[in-house]
Amino acid sequence: MAGILDVPKPRINCSMLSQYLNKAVCFVGCVEKVHPTGKTFSVSDGEGKSATVELNEPLEEELSGIVEVIGMVSNRGAIMATTYNMLRDEKGIPFDMELYNEALKVIHDFPQHYPFEVAASG
Amino acid sequence: MTKLSEGAIEALAKGSACNDCVLQLVNIRKIDGANGPPRFRVMMSDGRHTLSSFMLSTQMNCMAEENLLAPNCICLLKKHVTNILKDGRRVVIILEIDVIKPAQDAGGKIGDPTPYTEGQTKAPQPAPVPESRLPLQPQNRNEAVNKGFNRDFGKKAPSAMPSTPGGGSKVVPIASLNPYQSKWTIRARITNKSSIRTWSNSRGDGKLFSMEIVDESGEIRVTGFNQEVDKFYGLIEVGKVYYISKGSLKIANKQYTSVKNDYEMTLNGESTVIPCDDGCDVPMMQWDFVSIGDLENRDKDAILDVIGVCKSVDEVTRLTTKTNREVSKRTLSLMDMSGKVVTVTLWGEEAEKFDGSGQPILAIKAAKLSDFGGRSLSASFSSTLMINPDIPEAYKLRGWYDKEGHTMDGQSLTEVKGAGGGGNTNWKTLADVKNEHLGHGEKADYYTAIATIVYLRKENCLYQACPSQDCNKKVVDQQNGMFRCEKCDKEFPNFKYRLILSANIADYGDNQWVTCFQESAEAILGQNASYLGQLKDSNEAAFDEVFQQANFNTFVFRNRVKLETYNDESRIKATVMDVKPVDHKDYSKRLIMNIRKLAAQ
Repeated sequence: MAGILDVPKPRINCSMLSQYLNKAVCFVGCVEKVHPTGKTFSVSDGEGKSATVELNEPLEEELSGIVEVIGMVSNRGAIMATTYNMLRDEKGIPFDMELYNEALKVIHDFPQHYPFEVAASG
Repeated sequence: MTKLSEGAIEALAKGSACNDCVLQLVNIRKIDGANGPPRFRVMMSDGRHTLSSFMLSTQMNCMAEENLLAPNCICLLKKHVTNILKDGRRVVIILEIDVIKPAQDAGGKIGDPTPYTEGQTKAPQPAPVPESRLPLQPQNRNEAVNKGFNRDFGKKAPSAMPSTPGGGSKVVPIASLNPYQSKWTIRARITNKSSIRTWSNSRGDGKLFSMEIVDESGEIRVTGFNQEVDKFYGLIEVGKVYYISKGSLKIANKQYTSVKNDYEMTLNGESTVIPCDDGCDVPMMQWDFVSIGDLENRDKDAILDVIGVCKSVDEVTRLTTKTNREVSKRTLSLMDMSGKVVTVTLWGEEAEKFDGSGQPILAIKAAKLSDFGGRSLSASFSSTLMINPDIPEAYKLRGWYDKEGHTMDGQSLTEVKGAGGGGNTNWKTLADVKNEHLGHGEKADYYTAIATIVYLRKENCLYQACPSQDCNKKVVDQQNGMFRCEKCDKEFPNFKYRLILSANIADYGDNQWVTCFQESAEAILGQNASYLGQLKDSNEAAFDEVFQQANFNTFVFRNRVKLETYNDESRIKATVMDVKPVDHKDYSKRLIMNIRKLAAQ
């Protein structure tokens, strides 16, 4: 199996998780709660729905704000993170989750124009 | 057979109120005035008497012109006012009349009426008009004329009514005013008051102000000059009710006003303006709202009233007019239940003080329709703005917007026909600009595009300009340490550097050469002109570095394009009017909206 970084990682929101079981995805959300063990945290998407992110190793830093997570969706619908990246405000302009969600929907509504294998997997 | 209101003529001739009386029209005659609309003089009969001193108010002229009012027709006189001429004769002005039986069905003249004369009342018929002879509205019998009006027009009759302050003439409705009478008083609310304007020409100078006033019957524009400005301007407050008397009336110049009245009033030395404390029954404002969806069917430059939800407001901007005056300007988006959105421009003080927070309901009286970038509206000095007005339309709109309207995208009338140029944004790709031949028309076209700098020509991008404040003319180096400005006709020991930068900008589809002057060039280069001038003279490498750094930055460009011809060669000249950093949120929103719009087609 090719490494997760080499395969297409469609951007999805919570409501699309069930269609991507056992597939690599990219998820951008707002950090809600971090579990005391530091091995799992919850994120909310632009529609206000929550998903769980599970990590192999405990977090080594304080996590807050917007994160971009790359990982596989487990059978239970959790995101098994391979890597993550905190997105910081750019020049004081906060990341607009709702607008990002609108863009996500455009990508999924018109797969013919966004041929990043979204069509094949969706 | 229709029964006429016998005795009504006598009552009318005596100036008693007599509403809803049934009369037969005996004769109608057109009187062509020297100027203005024609007037119609009417002779009426109640079966017993005839009276020839009826005049049709000009707004009823259409009835005569369409021959609805023809001899023998039976009419219901619904609203009228009696005016007393200087010589004591009474004239009954017909304000509202219905034809209840057309001439051909009336079966000729009813009864054998004789012309009514004043003396008759005393001798043959001394008694006051018996109640039975005014069957339709006997309770109105013999009331004073102004009382009658109060009944007709007022929502409720205030206890102490329009007996005018200082006695004298009676209160009449605005609709009955005409140039042929002078003794009257109106009771009206000020709906709009201009600022004081001054003029100065070969015949001297002076000042004036104008205002618009309204009562239940209609509206009229009033102007005061010089002394009347000093006398009344400070006294008059918009929204308040005043008794106004003895103004001069003349034919309205419709070019300058949207007020629905054939006449306008000028205050003169005899005019009085007296505040009226009990004016709550006088209407606030007369509206004739046009749906935003219908604006596309209206003519350019039409003056109309609109009401809508203020969906969004732009920041106030300042610009310089051709006459070198600085004015403030603000644009906003107005949406109504048609689901259409129109851009409205406010000017001056209105622009500065407008608060659009909380998406208020905005009603505009006398907005001017423009075809600038599709359809847009402008609120000029004669317009009146009301935020969250206390009128049913406003509440209806609020309810609709809060329930469903706020979720609607709202299709904008402005910039839908964007190729026409102008408008506020007129978004284009560089390929659109070429394909749609922008700039090839009579007037220059303006568009807004998101593009990236791909090349900056640093040769000749700076020039030595006249150091005077407002002069940017290139100076001639006299080679003796002095610099000469031809425009100012002066020599200076110094100059200032100014930028004139050629840039090539590109987006995904095309590229274009554009010229950037001072401010836009400084924005692109991120340095001011004088610093760049210093660098150029002192540190060439650092100067080059500025240009390298500026490459491949993306901006929102506001450009002007116009076909220009030099030496028989025509080419499009593009000038950058404004450069702004890209607002990515805004840009994304627009892209998503455009994608959805395209998909829906």
